[in-house]
Amino acid sequence: MSEKAAPSRFPSPLRGGWTAAKGGRTGGVLSAVLNAYLPRLRRTLRSGASLWLLRSHLPLKGGDRASVLPAALLTLATLTAPAGAQPPARVMSLNVCTDQLAMALAAPGQLVSVSFLAREPDLSPLHREAERYPVNRGMAEDVFLARPDLVVTGTYTLHNTTQLLKRLGFRVEEFSFVQTLDTIPRDIRRMGKLLGREEEAEAMAAEFEAGLAEVEASQCGPRPTALAYEQNGVALGKGTLADSVLTAAGFKNLATEEGVEGMAPFPLELVVEKKPDIVIVPGSKGDAPSLGAFVPRHPALRALPATRIGAFVPRGSWSCGGPAVLEAVKALNALRQEIASCEASP
Amino acid sequence: MKPLALNLALALLALALFLASLAVGPAELGVSESVRGLFAGGGEAAAIIMREIRLPRALLGLSIGFTLGMAGAVLQGFLRNPLAEPGIIGVSAMAAFGAVAVFYSGLAGSALYALPAGALTGALAAVLLLMALAARNGSTLTLILAGVALSSLAGALTALVLNLSPNPFASYEIIFWLLGSLKDRSIAHVWLALPLMAAGWLLIALSARAIDALSLGEEAAASLGIHMARTRFLIVAGVALGVGAATAVAGTIGFVGLVVPHLIRPLTTRMPSRLLLPAGLGGAALLLAADVAVRLVLPAGELNVGVLTALIGAPFFLWLVVRARREVF
Repeated sequence: MSEKAAPSRFPSPLRGGWTAAKGGRTGGVLSAVLNAYLPRLRRTLRSGASLWLLRSHLPLKGGDRASVLPAALLTLATLTAPAGAQPPARVMSLNVCTDQLAMALAAPGQLVSVSFLAREPDLSPLHREAERYPVNRGMAEDVFLARPDLVVTGTYTLHNTTQLLKRLGFRVEEFSFVQTLDTIPRDIRRMGKLLGREEEAEAMAAEFEAGLAEVEASQCGPRPTALAYEQNGVALGKGTLADSVLTAAGFKNLATEEGVEGMAPFPLELVVEKKPDIVIVPGSKGDAPSLGAFVPRHPALRALPATRIGAFVPRGSWSCGGPAVLEAVKALNALRQEIASCEASP
Repeated sequence: MKPLALNLALALLALALFLASLAVGPAELGVSESVRGLFAGGGEAAAIIMREIRLPRALLGLSIGFTLGMAGAVLQGFLRNPLAEPGIIGVSAMAAFGAVAVFYSGLAGSALYALPAGALTGALAAVLLLMALAARNGSTLTLILAGVALSSLAGALTALVLNLSPNPFASYEIIFWLLGSLKDRSIAHVWLALPLMAAGWLLIALSARAIDALSLGEEAAASLGIHMARTRFLIVAGVALGVGAATAVAGTIGFVGLVVPHLIRPLTTRMPSRLLLPAGLGGAALLLAADVAVRLVLPAGELNVGVLTALIGAPFFLWLVVRARREVF
């Protein structure tokens, strides 16, 4: 279709917005502007149908009607401007892991919404706090409607959304998906800086570091082997948060020993063959059913006489790199002392 | 080939592949260690691996392959349609949808028995629908097209139910339901499915005389004293029980019931009833072989066996269609 024919074929929300705004006299100007922006607009439109919705929600300010479109573009431009010294007044978090840090650090009223996963007890240690916030689905529409000054999200999840938001001029700060115990204090401080809450963040990070150091100082003697065994027989290996937690709590991670990098399937037969001292399986049974959940509950694991199988870590505590991970470290350390007490070993 | 010799040869082949299935796995166990583990027992790792992991898998491979081969043979005989097969005519897909609908909705908690309950219902609905269709219009094409429609519908509904599940892992399980697998099954799955499949075998076997007579046409069969309604009931119930139970524990494993009867038919007297047992044994051998192969190709065991049977079976299906165009339509 030709460039000139295009405007009449735009879907109604977009066209409705413009035609409603244009007066008789300004019609010529408007169509000129429209045609000038059209190629780019169409390119953008191709990138996702959701944009139709977005553009239709552009704020239409009153006053001089001819300036409607420039005003809308201006709004977009102001969103690109760096926040400067002033801490952002409206912050939105799109990722369950950034939710944890944001909820822990934000000033009252600063956090506009958190992701819907923040209310899941299995994924979110701060799920109770999350009840106090509106939730978003991590969609670009959500962000556009809320018009936050700052969006915090993870690098891994919703990558397309992040690109889209950046292109639309939002300030998006991404936190790495790869998290270990080492990255947590850094992430806490970074979130504090972004929210203008440096002091709170520093206190929280320092407390975390001190707690971790205390646990690590109490380690001794032989390390029992452990395996974090997830749904579908996926093990958490080298480079994962679980791996660093197991190491800090005084365990050897069987998956890492067997060369698993990140999250990877770990055959049930190998678990039985290697007989780890503990197998950490997903806790909640009240979950909606899935076949994958049967694998960590396989009778072959229960038949291992000397292996302890259980959830062991507090619910949701190590699903995200946040202050709550310390609870998982402490719980596993207590278990480790029970299995191989420091007093008993020489 | 004499029926006895054929059955014996296929039984030996299936047995050899059953033993091969027991011998293959990520844990490298020696032969003596495996045998001791299987029979001597105790808390040793070898015993647990053999009894709790490999034996259920081999038993399921054997019995599901037998079911699919036999179901394919009886459907081809009864419907006088060379392309009939539980997977192609949509029975497996409907069984999978039934299992998914009952299990993931959480109606029965996360109890394992929800799977066959749903799968049998789905399979039964599919077989009844297809039989009604075949009774009205016996053309090969109609049945296959109805199967395509039914499979697509069931596949879409399966995806829908899985996507609606609040469990984030559920939607990944679509692959299992569309292209089945025998990975990480336990003895509980065997107890769940084997009795139902055995009942299905029995019902299908009881229809043997009737499908022979039916090869002469329905009127001729009636004049030979064949009770059509009874025959139809036996086959509907037998296929639904067998394929439903098989799909409930292993997902949709396609094409076994298509390939095997065609491969074995030339070796028989071409009487449909004479094909039932060899097709079952051949199906068992084929599925066991495929299941051994997927573990050897990707030792982590991630390739679903349904992928491999489809890779073997779909080109075969195409070849049958091309050939059938000349002979049947």
